[in-house]
Amino acid sequence: MRRNTMTKTDWAAVLSGDRDAAGGRAMTPGDGDLPQRRAEADAIDRILEETAAVRSEIRQAVASVNWDALPAVIAGRALAADGRAGRGAQTRAAGWLAAFRMKPALAGLAAGLVVGAAAMYFALKAPETRPGSGGAYYASGEFLDRAELEMARRNTLDYLDKGQYMLLDVFESAGPGPVLPAAVRSARARDLLQKKKYLNAQLEGLRMVKAKAICDQIEMLFLELSQIDGELTAAELGKIRGLVEERQLLLKINLVRKELESGV
Amino acid sequence: MSDVSAGRQADAALIASLLERVQAGDREAFMTIIRLYQQKVFVMAYSILRDREDALDAVQETFLKLYQKAGLYKPGNSFQGWLLQMAKNISIDSYRKHRRKRRQWETATPLEDIPVAAAPERDGDSAASDLRQAFARSVDTLAKRQKMVFIMRHYNELQFNEISEAMAISIGTAKSLHFKAVQNLRKRLAPVLGIEP
Repeated sequence: MRRNTMTKTDWAAVLSGDRDAAGGRAMTPGDGDLPQRRAEADAIDRILEETAAVRSEIRQAVASVNWDALPAVIAGRALAADGRAGRGAQTRAAGWLAAFRMKPALAGLAAGLVVGAAAMYFALKAPETRPGSGGAYYASGEFLDRAELEMARRNTLDYLDKGQYMLLDVFESAGPGPVLPAAVRSARARDLLQKKKYLNAQLEGLRMVKAKAICDQIEMLFLELSQIDGELTAAELGKIRGLVEERQLLLKINLVRKELESGV
Repeated sequence: MSDVSAGRQADAALIASLLERVQAGDREAFMTIIRLYQQKVFVMAYSILRDREDALDAVQETFLKLYQKAGLYKPGNSFQGWLLQMAKNISIDSYRKHRRKRRQWETATPLEDIPVAAAPERDGDSAASDLRQAFARSVDTLAKRQKMVFIMRHYNELQFNEISEAMAISIGTAKSLHFKAVQNLRKRLAPVLGIEP
């Protein structure tokens, strides 16, 4: 007996109309040896019957529309909208002014605004023309210098703060407390090195010699730390601690910080 | 060249020429296009909106949009697919606008889970009515693309090549989505149909 081997692909072909359900290897009503397959086929037939019912509802709706009249209605609307769009551009400006003609209070308010704005312009206009006033904004050189100095001061303070915490974390990791993971330490060191690159230009430009010297020394340490990927060995830790103590880095950081906090 | 493809080319040439005239403001050309496609657009809109008046509004909106955008049609592509895509988008937008109106029978339905056409409940045969309701619910809960392919195939009675053009997918994908839609419907309706899922 020929076995019915209706596969997923076969069903897809039948459903998409590529193959007739009665053709090829498809099932026939006589195939009683596979009741599950027959039930499946019946289920799909019933689903398709339901779609036919819905289709019939849609056809009823289609039949209820006056299709002869609709094109003229739509065309009328489209052409009217088109005409309005063309005229709209021409009449928009005129309409805007017409609003003032019709409303004296509104016209008065608008005139007041114009006069007020003109008065403000002349009042605020400086008696002498400032240098470089061609642009929209003017700031004096002195103001810019002060702003730059302030930014450098804040950036340096931030760098020193972070550097100090970093060194303290490293030293504490040698003790009984929680250990700072190597990856975190290395990432922080790299981050601080990155910051230092931007800080260099500011410190040199503003001749903040003392701050730059201490920042440079910290940078050397961070360079060392960023290159150590694993956990610090006792020897490495000893070396770093030695450098910090020898140069009295923590003390110097505190002194420079205080100086910066009280103003350069 | 086969008769079918020659016919299609002639149709495409006719549409291109009509659209050119529409762009020049030719009312007659525009009405000709409307006459040719108004019912197809209506079926698409009705399948999504399930309301005659809303569907008619969507038909008008679709053709008004066509009038404005006639110049954007690319002659190599299927005009019907392009137009039906427009109709589908407008119908979905319209559904959004009328959401409040439909709230009485709509729960927190996601945007794309739009109700598709389904026969209303009828008195009499309760088993048939149950199946009808279950069918409507099941079609509603199909995945978006499966649902659109199912609607276009069975309600709009489009061929798979037309569906693929309207949905900007390949014919194979359209067939596959249709197959999955029917299989999912069968699974969801299994209890009502009395078969194993």
